[in-house]
Amino acid sequence: MNFFKKTLDPTIALTLIAVLDIFLFLLVGAWTVGGGETMITGLVAELFMGDELSRIPFWSLVFKPDAGYWKIYISLGMLFGAIVSAVLSKEFYLRIPRRLSEWVMITLGGLLMGFGIRLAFVCNVSTFFGLTPQMNLGGYLAISGILAGAWVGSWIYKKVLEG
Amino acid sequence: MSVIGECLIAFVFGSVVGLLVQRSRFCNTSALRDAMLFKTFRNTKPLLIAMMILTFGFTLFLTFGEGKAMHFDVGLNQVVGLFLFGIGMVLAGACTVSTWVKAGEGNVGAMWALLFTFIGMFLFSLLWSVNYWPPAPISMTGEPNLEALQLGFVNARTLQDKFGIPAIVFGMVQVVLLGLIYRAILIKESAQQLEHDQVAAAHRANMAVNTKS
Repeated sequence: MNFFKKTLDPTIALTLIAVLDIFLFLLVGAWTVGGGETMITGLVAELFMGDELSRIPFWSLVFKPDAGYWKIYISLGMLFGAIVSAVLSKEFYLRIPRRLSEWVMITLGGLLMGFGIRLAFVCNVSTFFGLTPQMNLGGYLAISGILAGAWVGSWIYKKVLEG
Repeated sequence: MSVIGECLIAFVFGSVVGLLVQRSRFCNTSALRDAMLFKTFRNTKPLLIAMMILTFGFTLFLTFGEGKAMHFDVGLNQVVGLFLFGIGMVLAGACTVSTWVKAGEGNVGAMWALLFTFIGMFLFSLLWSVNYWPPAPISMTGEPNLEALQLGFVNARTLQDKFGIPAIVFGMVQVVLLGLIYRAILIKESAQQLEHDQVAAAHRANMAVNTKS
């Protein structure tokens, strides 16, 4: 099939996603990723720590581990869809970062993303595809933060590439 | 709707998104990073288009009280949190969506980024359990709480309730503003194209002179 041979125009992809996101908004709520990821973190932590987890108040007051939380399945769906798509377009293969600097940047980047999402209650997806289109004040606050952060991040990225 | 129904819809939505993002190589990180670093807008333009469609759709339904809007108090924590997130996504070379999608393509770096996103969230849960900031959703009131650096809850629907102007009107203002940003990008791109053509023409002219002599 041609769909799995040529690169899809991102404008077409995002238009379709936006229309589907409106349906999702009507049924369960707008597209979001961070909340599901937090719940996965909680479920995995519960698996390792058992009842010990209840000693950390966050996991009873803010996110009580619950496998029936719909946002988890958006993340699992994206993983599933991407695997199917990559296999069908013969683009599935292991890519391993080569340089130590890449591993360091990815580790730090991951930590900052996880920490930032929880501090803000939102991720980049909720910022651009949920809060801001609902004209929630939090969307504008989040956008000002992410633009400044991306600028600082780009500056560091450039220094590392040049160095 | 039943819990299973919700999870099923979420999974189907996620799968379609995973497929579309994988095929189009859309990336929210490069939508911001490439615009700042390289002045290229391949991913910035579709992001703006999606935001225009969503603003129209969401505010239209909010006008009639339909749809499930995100509802929690916001404040300084959104600015600081997304600032940290913004640095992180550029360093990791992926945002929340592309980590899942690239992991699905077999990208070990993306899987590593995901793992540390989870670890970052867990570290935050430890910190929160010490200082209890930002306030938990159960203690949110919707009103400004300056002591906790919270500004309360405002969206297109609360504006409608406060000013008696339909939410969609505010939405259309935002659509126009997003459209103006889009237009500015198109103007910038055509200027880049013009410059590129001029440089290419000058280069060709030079080559022609060189081959003659």
